[in-house]
Amino acid sequence: MRKPKVLIIDDDIDLVEIIRVTLESASYEVIDAQNGMRGVALAREEHPDVILLDVMMDAIDEGFHVAYELRKAPETKDLPLLMMTAVTERTGLAFNPERDGDYLPVDEYLEKPISPRRLLELVGKYAPAES
Amino acid sequence: MNARDRRDDALKRAEKVEPQEELTLGVDDDATLFVSARTLRRRADWFIKLRWSVVLGAGGVTVLSWPVTWTQLDLRPILAVIILLALVNTAYLLRNLRTPPRVLLTETRYVKTQMVVDLFLLTVLLNLTGGLENPFHVIYFVHVIIASLLFKGREIFHIAALAIVLFTCEVVGEYFGLLPHHHLFAASGMHHQSTYMLMTLGVYWLVLLFSAYIGSSIMKHNRAIKNELVARQKQLIAQDKAKMDFFRFVTHEVKNPAITSQSAIDAVLVLSGDELSPMAKDLLERARRRTAQTIDIVKDLADLTRGAMQDRQETSRVNLNVKFKEWMDDFAERAAERKIEVVTRFPPVPVILNTNEQAIEKIFVNLYSNALRYSPEGGRITVRLFGAGFTRVSFSVRDRGIGIAPKDQQKIFEEFYRTPEAKRMSTEGTGLGLPIVKRLVGELGGRLTVASVPGQGSIFTVSGLHNV
Repeated sequence: MRKPKVLIIDDDIDLVEIIRVTLESASYEVIDAQNGMRGVALAREEHPDVILLDVMMDAIDEGFHVAYELRKAPETKDLPLLMMTAVTERTGLAFNPERDGDYLPVDEYLEKPISPRRLLELVGKYAPAES
Repeated sequence: MNARDRRDDALKRAEKVEPQEELTLGVDDDATLFVSARTLRRRADWFIKLRWSVVLGAGGVTVLSWPVTWTQLDLRPILAVIILLALVNTAYLLRNLRTPPRVLLTETRYVKTQMVVDLFLLTVLLNLTGGLENPFHVIYFVHVIIASLLFKGREIFHIAALAIVLFTCEVVGEYFGLLPHHHLFAASGMHHQSTYMLMTLGVYWLVLLFSAYIGSSIMKHNRAIKNELVARQKQLIAQDKAKMDFFRFVTHEVKNPAITSQSAIDAVLVLSGDELSPMAKDLLERARRRTAQTIDIVKDLADLTRGAMQDRQETSRVNLNVKFKEWMDDFAERAAERKIEVVTRFPPVPVILNTNEQAIEKIFVNLYSNALRYSPEGGRITVRLFGAGFTRVSFSVRDRGIGIAPKDQQKIFEEFYRTPEAKRMSTEGTGLGLPIVKRLVGELGGRLTVASVPGQGSIFTVSGLHNV
């Protein structure tokens, strides 16, 4: 049986590594992209089961633009999208998932710092790992 | 609003990542000009009122003088001039009501025209009421003084020159018999006495020009001071913005590595916690707590410096009975772990406040989490809410914890101050929570007070909250 594939789009290579270790320990296959554009391209090519997306990359709201980009294309529009963010902690970004959540095209929010249990629980919800 | 519009709206908001800039002091564009179209219009409105009082005063005296024979003047033409002034003033009033002040030049011309018309009417009125004999010719000075407040340099002298020309023509015209003379009192030959006429005119010219000169130089000086102040204010605003930008950068740069570190520690503890020696695990737990504290400090600092109410305009109807319970529920696990009994004393009727929910949440959560943190195991916390049906709302959070010594009761509102007892009790806590609470309560127009007995507990009360 094929391992579920998770795409991480984040420019923090340490965080990518932490998530990779966590997910691989639960038998996920992990691929990653360090910027939004590469992430969109990889999502089209690889068709992952889940995408983990960071909000602040080169631009402060790059993640949101990537999310719209993914939702626009027919081949990626149905992929589960989990957004990792510390911006809900009122960092100055005008986005607020509570307020804007109903029309931001992501499926879940994952608060930073990333709790491994919560990460596995959320990813498992969209792509159950083989036991 | 459809989904697309809302999305665009959200994106627009995202592009505007510096909402606090709008909250800083702004320099009014008008401030760089000493007089703006708007301020000039306000003065013009004031002149209209002044003119009405002249119309009423002069008109009243004229009408009342009708049956009395204290003067030989023909009152009919005087009344006609006053009526003309009233008509002209009505026209000004209508114009001001219809046209909003926009262009400074237009407003300046408009006010200048009014002054010229006023000076002409004043001269006609003076001619009808005795000319040189009438002491009211000092009113010309009032015009020159007003002109020096409103206009710059040459323009003041234009008004002064017009006043000089009009009054001189009137006096000289009467002297040579070119204009009729109307005796104010009994027939006096003043207007034919060349020495008196020349003396009066000489003093009149001199004082008028001198007034114009003094007025213009004082105003020039004032304008220079104002320009300097405006320039400095702009400089300060720019510096403040640079400071805030730098601060935002620093908080972001500090928070991110801390967040990643904490994620790493969490991953180790969860994925390989069982393989670690108890000592290694304990040390990692400590590292985790301190990293979490760093993140909290950075977040609190960001809140404190940018003014935690980011979107001050955003208000909603907040049902405090419901919201307080909801926020308390977030800490239920922590309270249960430490066997802390939480008592709520809420009125049976919902207390609903139109306010900034984010701010109220921060205030409440800070006070409530402090109460939990500094309560002993098995302690009790009482949350009270008052104000059903009233416009003023207050609430209090009481704990039976470590308490605060009287000497520390004001210091706890200073940034980074934590009492020695608090430090001993818990390494958590940033020393920024209460300063944030105090600031937010102030922004909402309320008052924050504390009463405490060391060893017995504290009660923090937020009072005077009202609909925003």
